[in-house]
Amino acid sequence: MHMHKFEKVWLIFGVGTLLVFLTVLGVSAFYLGNQPPSCLATIDPEKVETQAPFNEPGLKKVEGKAWDYELVFVAQAFNYNPGDVEIPFGATVKIIATTKDVIHGFEVAGTNINMMLEPGYISEHITTFDKTGEYLILCNEYCGAGHHLMTSKIEVVES
Amino acid sequence: MAKTELRKNVKTEVEDRSSLKGTLASVFLLGFFLIVSWVGVFFLFLDRF
Repeated sequence: MHMHKFEKVWLIFGVGTLLVFLTVLGVSAFYLGNQPPSCLATIDPEKVETQAPFNEPGLKKVEGKAWDYELVFVAQAFNYNPGDVEIPFGATVKIIATTKDVIHGFEVAGTNINMMLEPGYISEHITTFDKTGEYLILCNEYCGAGHHLMTSKIEVVES
Repeated sequence: MAKTELRKNVKTEVEDRSSLKGTLASVFLLGFFLIVSWVGVFFLFLDRF
């Protein structure tokens, strides 16, 4: 088959780029262990309030784990519990969240924290808060008449 | 009477007359645009917590 030299050049370039992108994805998933926020952890949505850790929403210090704090959020129409949380600067936090009723969003504006909270599933995200400031938590899944009022706040403060 | 042409092994001259320089340039322009935007978003992701 006759193939123009230029065609070979851009085919090799294209396939090479694809391989680089797939390698990045593979390293992220299998070496760094990144996974989707909701990854097979389930809960009975009707018993959220009675089950740990959701019986005590808020920030809790933990020992002997890869993260320093666990931040538990329970979402329901149309608010988050807790409604305001302070996190010490530089803390590595595992955010654990779920919803009691319908699908809600959990987006911390201007950061990589952006999860969907589905009834019956637990969503998790681990991150290090290395910038001080106030961060708005928003629901970005339309959940009903009060959707636009559904917010919470994270304050990263120097300890 | 006209004769049907049945010879099949007629060699047609395929000449590489058209230059692919412009195509090469536009393909790489698109390629680099994709890479630059991907890398840009990736570094934005790394920079945020």
